[in-house]
Amino acid sequence: MNITINGKALTAPDGCTIMEAANANNIHIPNLCRLEGVHQCGSCRICVVEVDGMRNLQASCIVKARDGMAVRTNSPKVRAARKVLYELLLSDHPKDCLSCSRSGKCELQALGEELGAGESRLHGEMSTRMVDVSPSVTRDTGKCILCRRCVAVCGEVQKVGAIALQNRGFDTVVGPSLDLPLGGTACAMCGQCVSACPTGALSETDALAPVWRAVQDPNTRVVVQVAPAVRAALGEEFGLPTGSPVTGRMASALREIGFDDVFDTNFAADLTIIEEGTELLGRLEKALGVKPGGAALPMITSCSPGWIKHIEHAYPGELDHLSTCKSPHTMLGALVKSFYVERIGVPAENIFMVSVMPCTAKKYEVQRPEMEVDGRRDVDAVLTTRELARMIRQSGIDFTGLPEGEFDKPLGLSTGAADIFGVTGGVMEAALRTVYELVAGRELPFEGLHVTPIVGLEQVKTASLTITDTLPAFKHLDGVTVNIAVTSGLAGADILMDEVAVGTSPYHFIEVMGCPGGCINGGGQPRNREAGYRERRMQALYSEDERKTLRKSHENPDIAALYRDFLGEANGETAHHLLHTHYTPRGMFSNAGGCCN
Amino acid sequence: MLGENILGSGFNFDLEIRIGAGAFVCGEETSLLASIEGRRGEPSQKPPFPFECGLYGKPTIINNVETLANIAPIVLNGAEWYRGFGTDKSAGTKVFALAGHIVNTGIIEVPMGIPLGEIIYTIGGGLRGGKKFKAIQSGGPSGGCLTHAHLNTPVDYENLAALGAIMGSGGLVVMNEDTCMVDTARYFMDFIRDESCGKCLPCRVGTKRMLEILEGITEGRGQAGDIELLEELAETLKQTAMCGLGQTAPNPVLSTLRYFRDEYESHIHDHHCTAGVCAELQTSPCRNACPANVFIPGYMSLAAKGKLSEAYQLIRQENPFPAVCGRVCTHPCEDHCRRSQVDEALSICGVKRFIGDYALRDDYDVPAVESRPSTGKRVAVIGSGPSGLACAYYLANNGHDVDVYERESVAGGVMYWGIPEFRLPKAVLAKEIRVIEAAGVKIHLNRGVGDDMPFDQVRSEHDAVYVAVGTQKSRTMNIPGENLAGVESGLSFLRRIGLGVDQTVPERLVVVGGGSTAMDVARSALRLGTKEVTVVYRRTLRQMSASREEIEDARGEGVKIIALASPEEVLGENGKVRGVRFIRRDMADFGKDGRRRSVPMKGSEFTLECDAVVAAINQDVDTAFYESANMQVNKSGTLAIDRFTAATSQPGVFAGGDVSPWGANVVIHAIADGKRAAANIDKYLGGDGSLNKGTWFDVALAQDPEVTEPHPRFPMRTVPVKDRLDNFREVELGFHKLDALAETLRCLHCERRFDA
Repeated sequence: MNITINGKALTAPDGCTIMEAANANNIHIPNLCRLEGVHQCGSCRICVVEVDGMRNLQASCIVKARDGMAVRTNSPKVRAARKVLYELLLSDHPKDCLSCSRSGKCELQALGEELGAGESRLHGEMSTRMVDVSPSVTRDTGKCILCRRCVAVCGEVQKVGAIALQNRGFDTVVGPSLDLPLGGTACAMCGQCVSACPTGALSETDALAPVWRAVQDPNTRVVVQVAPAVRAALGEEFGLPTGSPVTGRMASALREIGFDDVFDTNFAADLTIIEEGTELLGRLEKALGVKPGGAALPMITSCSPGWIKHIEHAYPGELDHLSTCKSPHTMLGALVKSFYVERIGVPAENIFMVSVMPCTAKKYEVQRPEMEVDGRRDVDAVLTTRELARMIRQSGIDFTGLPEGEFDKPLGLSTGAADIFGVTGGVMEAALRTVYELVAGRELPFEGLHVTPIVGLEQVKTASLTITDTLPAFKHLDGVTVNIAVTSGLAGADILMDEVAVGTSPYHFIEVMGCPGGCINGGGQPRNREAGYRERRMQALYSEDERKTLRKSHENPDIAALYRDFLGEANGETAHHLLHTHYTPRGMFSNAGGCCN
Repeated sequence: MLGENILGSGFNFDLEIRIGAGAFVCGEETSLLASIEGRRGEPSQKPPFPFECGLYGKPTIINNVETLANIAPIVLNGAEWYRGFGTDKSAGTKVFALAGHIVNTGIIEVPMGIPLGEIIYTIGGGLRGGKKFKAIQSGGPSGGCLTHAHLNTPVDYENLAALGAIMGSGGLVVMNEDTCMVDTARYFMDFIRDESCGKCLPCRVGTKRMLEILEGITEGRGQAGDIELLEELAETLKQTAMCGLGQTAPNPVLSTLRYFRDEYESHIHDHHCTAGVCAELQTSPCRNACPANVFIPGYMSLAAKGKLSEAYQLIRQENPFPAVCGRVCTHPCEDHCRRSQVDEALSICGVKRFIGDYALRDDYDVPAVESRPSTGKRVAVIGSGPSGLACAYYLANNGHDVDVYERESVAGGVMYWGIPEFRLPKAVLAKEIRVIEAAGVKIHLNRGVGDDMPFDQVRSEHDAVYVAVGTQKSRTMNIPGENLAGVESGLSFLRRIGLGVDQTVPERLVVVGGGSTAMDVARSALRLGTKEVTVVYRRTLRQMSASREEIEDARGEGVKIIALASPEEVLGENGKVRGVRFIRRDMADFGKDGRRRSVPMKGSEFTLECDAVVAAINQDVDTAFYESANMQVNKSGTLAIDRFTAATSQPGVFAGGDVSPWGANVVIHAIADGKRAAANIDKYLGGDGSLNKGTWFDVALAQDPEVTEPHPRFPMRTVPVKDRLDNFREVELGFHKLDALAETLRCLHCERRFDA
């Protein structure tokens, strides 16, 4: 259709909004509450424009463009309105920018610069300010500008709805109902709301303070590990293009900061595949009657703590479907405080274990009562990718100029299967690479070892594998068709779990990641809404996988050594003691125990 | 008809009634639909409109009950019948809810296009308690107000919109003169803010901020720039709010600013609420109503204790003419006295006169106010009327050197020659003028600035000038025969009588006009020998600006009053007046000032025979003076004076009193103008603008006010009519001392504050 914007005759696709028409023609309209791919609701009114023939200014994010429309996006009337709107926003916003964690990266600040706004002439009562610190997410209601992005992400994307609009008018506040603290609700701690938030209203609960203390304490041995998805996005915090893999520089940075040992969670990812693969085969044996006892199928992956908390609230009766494996980083933490300290002769009490994760739910995970062995926490602190970037800056390190570094032995070597743990479908693929080879004695029959039906950003991906010509030990699986499903985002998990709950699920093995697209889009990752940002980060991890020689977890020599020298058998007694866990049924709406709260 | 297969037609119709939670915003259709669907009652973008995608996504028609109720009669009686009511663009009838300070409240159904005045006066019965109409709010919190300038407006959608109001749901709230329009705007904004759904930023925060500004103004915290900020916020809300609630939220503010901006300015600059509503801005309603801010409850307490000298001094702090005003003031204080809610308003004016008379006893010396140290600055005051003398008095007490130039041979201005002796004895005036002179004010008589003294000379010889020359030019009748011998203006009649220049009066006199001047002329003429006096006024008796007491006194003395008639021609013989031809008038529509206009009735002429005609129909400012003085004059011919600083366009030249564009022709207003000018002149001359009112003294409450038993006013003594007509002795004799003291005990002492 034809549309005139600022006097220029332009075209735009039919059915788009005025803002979409402007964007398609490289005309930028200032906006605030809108979030690409998440929501637009016309709440902030910053994006208003003049439309010929319409009496009032129109919100360009929700008003549809019509053929022949004439629009002015920057007329004096529009600019005047935006200035006053901004003053209204500022009049109800705290002025502690200097100490706010979003300073310099705050969308409200950026908008003020864009509008050329000065001080607000409006002063008056401000909204009630309340700070709610949960293990993963910290809410500061005073900084909320009521853009409703978090409500949209939690309610419509994740379909959890732990936070919503409460009260109305000037008293409107975003939060859980009944004034509950977020930690007392069915919030999954996934942090998608934190990623969406334009200001400092929602942020990850800080762990930098304890980590800095530990790093600067000469009596503490600070061990750090980094998740796969972090290396695919950390570079974005330092101006590198989206999806630049920065593994080597990341390792160097950690060393520069002063961590004593720099390990790779990928190592534990390989370990997880061994444990979980063994567990799967065990359940299949029981299901096929080879061994006695029942088996809960489908088995569902358990490395996503946001997903774990969600299933505990939403499907507390189905917890035996979960793999009993801990998530990789907690496995690694348990190993550090047992296997590793033996090796280096350091008392386990002197260890401070830090995980750098793309995830906010991991902060919740590490304080779960069962995430400890012999009274020692598996992991002592979790930093998000964003927090690591701050720590690097606070250390005065020039990240992009660092040399390529290496992870430390013996917990630093990983195969390509471990790298793809960060993408949706990656855990499943890694598991299949090992399990298939274990059972059939030959490589997984997919080009480049990529199980294509489960690659990509579709909400639910499924595939079926019929196993033939097995090794003698696995004769019971000969001719068996294994159905697998992969989903990311909690809404997708619900789709699959609804079938499981009524017993109609056709799958044997399900991978669930709590965040849409997998860990590369975790709640702790750099905030990025560029077109295709998820695909680019996924590509970074696939490229890490493909450049490695070792691409299957069971090929990791350090893993083999670990079993030989310390763990013994996969799923054996030591392994269970250190590397496996159990789950807690929770209420539907609250954190209290019990099925039906 | 409801049900399935109605009357075998195959058509089903079903009715379901849902009760909403009562949110105002759910009157907006998309919010209403959201609420029915169980979602938050918040609007969404239109299009799509409900008729395309409405309830549960289905096409939906939404109308209010009044609209639906019209359908049956239209179907039954036909469209032509319906179009017979109302106007071209707005056919049919409209239901209004008439409420407020009106006699008849309730629901009315009227044809569209009915004039507003008819709704208020004919159907509504006018304002309760005889109060004056001030404004009517149309459309509730989303609407705007209409004023007395709009009483002829046909009430329909287009006309209301053009005037800044809306029809809305038909709510019409009538507001009388005791309504504060700023408080009204605040009230409506408070409601709207409470009802804002909170979805969009401009309404959610904007209504709150606008309310805070309005609250600040009504509580005395208003600042320069507040009005402009309100207007800017209003424009933003109108343009950017998502739904009608936010878009119309500014309407009450904008419309009260449009028609009552001066009230906002008074609240901000003077911290004064003219209607006497805003509690933080006043001590008591009577003091608030007094243009000079006299501490009325204070002197009631002092007088009740018998401390008359202190009472007199307390009054003098704010008004240097207590005894004068106790006789001639229009006493707006009494109109606001809360005692009237018990029985009758306190006789404040009468008590003040009693106190004033005490001070005028020969053996009493009014204690002087100790003036501030001399400033060395010289101020010229032109005119020795109430405004000029009040200004001079305060300036002298502030230490300035004041010269008053008076054109006549006596001081006092209108107080001397414009008010007859039987209402204000000259001796009373003289004593109070002497007190002013004792403060250091030098009055130069027979010195006319502009006559023998050029204005420029006066200006150059003084550091500042206050122009208080009053209104000297009488308005003419503009009818043939006006130039005949025997026709004169009310002012010139009173002046020549008052100054003793020429006291001839005709046998038969006709006076045209309806104010105090007309009454004074008539009563003076009778005392000087006129046999027959007829006062003719173009509107009704009730609309005459003379007070009820003056009219009663005049009639009692034999003055005949003819209402609803106006002169067409002065008839003469040999160059002298022999009569006036009048035409009767009928009440018609409303003028811009809200008063009902009258129109001549053809064929109703009649003639009154007389020997002289006095036209007492108003005065105007003599602009020749200002032109010579190089002072800026408004388009309407009035002097350009700043309402809050009394400054004219010339630096150092101030003006006030009857010359001001809002000239109320009332002594107490003139005095208030003089005080305001004195404060601003003091500031201009380097002072801080505070007036030296003498030593402060505490006024303790005499005793708890008596309200358990109503008691009317104590009687005021007057001279019987038969003893009045051959002399100019004062007609009102004032209170007996015991009655005066008892009257002070009727005061409710509204100035008391109790800490919660």
